[in-house]
Amino acid sequence: MRFGPLLAAEFRKTATLPAAWAGVAVALLGSAGITVLNAISARAAIAAGHPELRAFTSVFQTGYAAAPLGTVGAIVIGVVAIGSEYTSNNADAGGGRQVTTTLAAIPHRTGLLAAKALTVVLLAVTTAALTIPACVGIAALVIGDATRETVTLDEALTRSLGAALYWTLMGLIAFAVTVVTRSGMFPLIALIANSSLVSVSLLLTRLTPLAFWLPDMAGRRLFGGLSTVEGGLDAGAGAIVMAAWTLALLATAATVFSRRDA
Amino acid sequence: MTIAVRLRNVTAAELSKLGTLPTAIVAAAGTVLAAGGIAAALAANPATQRSSAVAVTAQTIPYVQVGLILLGILPVAHEYAGGQLRTTLMAVPDRGLLVAAKTIAVTIAAALTGTVTVAVGRAVAALTRHTAGVRRGEAGVLLDAAGYLVLSALLAHAVALLVRNLTAALVAMLGLVLIVSPLLASVSEGARWLPDRAAAQLYDPTDTVLTAGTGTLVAVAWTTVIAGIATVQFIHRDA
Repeated sequence: MRFGPLLAAEFRKTATLPAAWAGVAVALLGSAGITVLNAISARAAIAAGHPELRAFTSVFQTGYAAAPLGTVGAIVIGVVAIGSEYTSNNADAGGGRQVTTTLAAIPHRTGLLAAKALTVVLLAVTTAALTIPACVGIAALVIGDATRETVTLDEALTRSLGAALYWTLMGLIAFAVTVVTRSGMFPLIALIANSSLVSVSLLLTRLTPLAFWLPDMAGRRLFGGLSTVEGGLDAGAGAIVMAAWTLALLATAATVFSRRDA
Repeated sequence: MTIAVRLRNVTAAELSKLGTLPTAIVAAAGTVLAAGGIAAALAANPATQRSSAVAVTAQTIPYVQVGLILLGILPVAHEYAGGQLRTTLMAVPDRGLLVAAKTIAVTIAAALTGTVTVAVGRAVAALTRHTAGVRRGEAGVLLDAAGYLVLSALLAHAVALLVRNLTAALVAMLGLVLIVSPLLASVSEGARWLPDRAAAQLYDPTDTVLTAGTGTLVAVAWTTVIAGIATVQFIHRDA
């Protein structure tokens, strides 16, 4: 079977899931909402003559501050892309799971998983490409010319690409874990909680520096310029460590998915 | 049968259903285990060396509330995963009674889990620090923290009743307590009126306007409004 039609089929399947759109909406609308609030209070700080009360008041930085929130959207997309296959149908309709139909149509399991993973990448990257410019646009509308831009275009582009990479890798990690658990519940809880302030990884870094090598802690400097905890890997090395985790988890998922009964 | 007897019977049925739901047992046991692990990690952290075992237990609450949220969502959400709700309604056609009984069952399950969770957190924190002895008034503080956990579970129960779907309820509740409320709190004073922020006065009384009592009232008001809308819908809608 050729890969093109397979990818098209899987992309269409995921893109028609309401839950996948909920993931996109969480990233897009959630980030936009936070940007509006941040921009309004940045504008108020400038108008009051106390811009130093805010960590930053430039347009790009205000828009970009919402980027870590988008990770939640990517996690939802990664989880539902495969979790939906394992959800039982209504008992009236036989209580079957979609994965059996999918595997009857595409028996090549590794290829199927690759197509699904690529779908997650496409959706996460598209969401990032819409969300980050939209947030910066909102910040520009609200703050406007009240402030001087301190971030160069090059730097802005690098930071945006870093955020998009973090979202994509986190989406893939969520996807790989859900393949193994066959239920979206556990990965959703663990990964959303870990993306927030109540992060177990963050807690572990206070006990042992080894925790800086966990995937979410390693990659966090990809959100360049946002104030984070001291210590740990820098952006380049962190990205490599996070990508290595992602690949290892995807390889585990592929092995499990190929060898296990559906 | 009088209404009280029927309510007692249906509540007993709902509790026994909950006790045989593997995910609910795993959620409750997982929460207690997580409380122990996180309390040990927090107590071993050099940065919190000065705070008491009770203070460390209070710091575990933002982590373990996730388990109680799941426990609050499951009793309603599992009825909608498949056709079980129709069987349930066949057995208990009085829908208002069913919602009341389910809510009582969730309260009992959450109170049990919450109390054990807080107690384990307190014990592990003390063991990690090698401290013994109980301070005066400690039990009250710990019970307040357990009360916060019960309020979280009840809010999650109300949201699940409204959205009728496990994933949607989970994302909504986790989004509220882990992301929206901390982010809003950093930009707006109004965040104190969110249900989780208001109820948090029970274990972390730092707010200048709300106290533990009024904070609890705010959280109960949110839960009552959401559960009220959801119950009216539940009574009037096809299952």
